Parts: sequence; C-alpha cells; structure tokens
Amino acid sequence: MIKVSVNGEIKEIEDGLNIVELIEVLEYKTKGFAVAINTTFVPISEYKSRTIKNGDTIDILAPVQGG
Amino acid sequence: MDNQTWEIGGKTLNSRMLIGSALYPNPANMQDAIKESEAQIVTVALRRQSAGDGGGDDFWNIIKELNINVLPNTAGSHSAKEAITTAQMAREVFGTNWIKLEVIGDQYNLQPDPFETLKAAEVLIKDGFEVFPYTTDDLVVAKRLVDVGCKILMPWGSPIGSGQGLMNPANLKAIRKQFPELKLIVDAGIGKPSDAIEAMELGYDGILLNSAIALAQDPVKMARAFKYATMAGRLGYEAGTMQKREFASPSTPTVGTPFWHQFD
Repeated sequence: MIKVSVNGEIKEIEDGLNIVELIEVLEYKTKGFAVAINTTFVPISEYKSRTIKNGDTIDILAPVQGG
Repeated sequence: MDNQTWEIGGKTLNSRMLIGSALYPNPANMQDAIKESEAQIVTVALRRQSAGDGGGDDFWNIIKELNINVLPNTAGSHSAKEAITTAQMAREVFGTNWIKLEVIGDQYNLQPDPFETLKAAEVLIKDGFEVFPYTTDDLVVAKRLVDVGCKILMPWGSPIGSGQGLMNPANLKAIRKQFPELKLIVDAGIGKPSDAIEAMELGYDGILLNSAIALAQDPVKMARAFKYATMAGRLGYEAGTMQKREFASPSTPTVGTPFWHQFD
C-alpha cells in the first residue's frame, strides 16, 4: 500500500495503480473531470500509462460555478 | 434592438455582457438570469469535489443547455504554475481554448498579481490559449500583457465582488486610448447598471459581472437591467457624447422669448 493525497485527503491505495484504476477505486462519480498530479496537468491520453507513486498529490477537478 | 455585433476570441457575438455563474440563490435562478441577460459568454470554474456526489456533471449540463460560449477561469490560483495547470485542465473538461486568467496576488482585496499573470499569459498563449487576463488598471501592466501576445485585456473596475463600480475611470480611459484595437472588458467591481453604462461609455468593448446580478434581490430582473445598461452605454459611446461646458447654455432658443423686456 502507498499513501497519496487525493483532493486534500490522505488515502492509502494499492501500489502500481494507474489513473483509470485510481478513479475506479475512489468510486469517483462525476464524468467530466481533469487530473493533475503534483500540480502538473495529466491529459486523458496518459491515464493508463501514468502510475501513481507514494507521496503523490492528486487533484481531480470538476466543473463548478465561477465568476 | 440595435445591432451591437462585435468579435472576440474568434467569435462574432451580439451581446457585450459576459456573465458569471456563481452565487445565485439556486441553479434554476442562475439559468433564468443568464437567459434573461442574453449574454453569450458565461464564466465557469473547476474545483475539487467529493468522489460520490457527481455534482459537477449536473452543473455542467445546465450550462450546456444554455448553448452559449463558456469562459473557464483560473480563480483561486496564486502562482503562474497553478494558473497554467488549471487552464490546461479546463481546456480538457470544457473543450475550449478560452481562459479567464486570474492569478491573485493579495488575499485582502483579491488584487491580481501582475507578475505571475504575465508569466502565465506568455506560456498559455504559446500553448494555443485565447487568454482573457484579469488585471488591474495599470497601463504598464497592460502594455506588458500586450507584448506577450494578449489580444484581450480585462482590467478591474474595483475589487472582485465589492460592487464599488469604477474606482479609477481615468486609468481605464488611458488603457482604452493606448490600445484602440484591443478587446477591452471591465471585469470585477461592477455593482449597479449605471456602472456598466459608465464602462461602456468609456469605449470598453464589454463588461464581465457576476455578483451584481446574482446577489440582487431579483437576479433575473437585474440581468435584464444590465442587458439594457450595456446596450445603452455602448450606444452612447458610438453616438459620441457632447463636450462638457463650464457654464450654462440654454437649450431652448432665446430668439422669440416671450414676456421679455416688454416695457424697458
């Protein structure tokens, strides 16, 4: 198991997960979202190839109201 | 209604009002107010959401139903790096290369950080974004943003959400005079319809507002008020205002004035 931060919460997840697998594990419901790891954008095309590492800070952002 | 067609970011629009989607009493009211405003650009944002609620989709579906242009913002960013990442994420989620670049430099008055905004603008323009930078009314900052390729500038009227109107019309006027070809939008601080008229009379191409409509007692009616104010201000600018005079000058002809010096 590894420790990561997901949207500001510390979580323990299995080692070796890619982003698609992480989203499944988190049971993240929103369909339209984008991901950044350690403040760097990760495009959808890299979701399967990008492995989550211990200590990663993951932000999953979805649409909200804005001014 | 008078034709007020203009172009911005490669699109031809009829409305010169850009409207925000935040702070309304409820989503239905937001949708009604945006429709009533006849705005063709609505600002949106990205935020962390808890895994189970799926709320982002509901909001995004409401916005999509409006069938108008979406302008995502980078609100909450405090560095060029954060703003660039948010912009890249927004481009993927919202499917647009438009970005309202907002990098905050002071938490007290939410003043934009000109240095980080400039850095981010340069990177984003090279990456193919159409940058709508939220900036102060500083002419030199405006010049630097233009130097890195900005075709649009959005100087503040006054601090975000303050409703104080145009704090410094002289500075806004100077930017307009210096950059006649640039698309200029007064963003932030507009509190009442007369502020919108003032901004438009200065020759600004548009206004961006949110709180003034969303926090009104009747947001839908206020949206209508701003629609007309924006149009009126633009018409006033195009018509050309009269020169101010130091003294009174009668508007009714003096020739033929009755009861005048009859027995002198």
